[in-house]
Amino acid sequence: MRFKCAELKEFQIVGKPLSKTNEKTPIYKMRIFAPDEVVAKSRFWYFLRQLKKVRKVNGEILRLTEVSEKSPTKIKNFGIWVRYDSRSGSHNMYREYRDVMTTGAVTQCYRDMAARHRARAHSIQIMKVAEVKASDCRRSTVQQMHNSKIKFPLPHRILKYNKKSIFVAERPSTMQ
Amino acid sequence: IQSNLSRAIFCKMLYQRFIEVGRVCYIRIGDHTGKICTVVDLVDQKHLLVDGPTSGVPRCVLRLNQVSLTDLKIDIPRGCKSKKVRSELTKEDINAKFLATSLSKKAEGKKSKALLGDFGRFKLRVSKTTLNRK
Repeated sequence: MRFKCAELKEFQIVGKPLSKTNEKTPIYKMRIFAPDEVVAKSRFWYFLRQLKKVRKVNGEILRLTEVSEKSPTKIKNFGIWVRYDSRSGSHNMYREYRDVMTTGAVTQCYRDMAARHRARAHSIQIMKVAEVKASDCRRSTVQQMHNSKIKFPLPHRILKYNKKSIFVAERPSTMQ
Repeated sequence: IQSNLSRAIFCKMLYQRFIEVGRVCYIRIGDHTGKICTVVDLVDQKHLLVDGPTSGVPRCVLRLNQVSLTDLKIDIPRGCKSKKVRSELTKEDINAKFLATSLSKKAEGKKSKALLGDFGRFKLRVSKTTLNRK
């Protein structure tokens, strides 16, 4: 079962520092990937505080909108530029994922980082997410799907085991 | 993967059903259980972009283990629009061809068995024993 709450959503958050003297203050826009609005706002202030001299106390969010996917039935290659903290330091990475939605690719990235580098979500910063043309893809796992005549069989297919048939008289067939 | 398959001839005979664009699949698990759909594109090794305009399946991504391959295949370009998929499916009359497959018949059988009820199951058991005794 696909748990929808486990997928990240894309938010566009616009905020600005409040000015005490009614001066015009710069407005900042961020693209945040978070499970919900609350976390999105929190991450917005987290990043803005790192990049500019603004704090949540001294700022306000002007707009928070969820961004929906422009083409949810078109398969795209996503390049994701990540910065993450490992146990011994901070590193930049470029990772590629194939997915139908931007949020799907970013969710994959978080899961992948957790699996391969034991990086928790709080230590991952998504710096940039962009759709990459097939010819510009660098990762072989993504490039191997760029075959217009792609086909593969399912050898030795083991489907989820029915508890009723744990012991059977004949060896079950694993042909598709 | 493809070049290895074409080199080993016995492999080609061994595997007849491939995950490929145009392969008609039967959905085993999920929202659209029991319907057939066509593979329009492949996301990765475990996910398919699937469409079933003639069987009520919207264009969506399915996992490989949600799906069962059939022997039926249509000729569509990779990532083509639903309209093209629909026209190819009706041209080949895939819905009728699918109903003739053993997979479809087994699925029908399972459905009717589930609707039997206690008396129905009793009748089934009695008829089975009498048949086996003969």
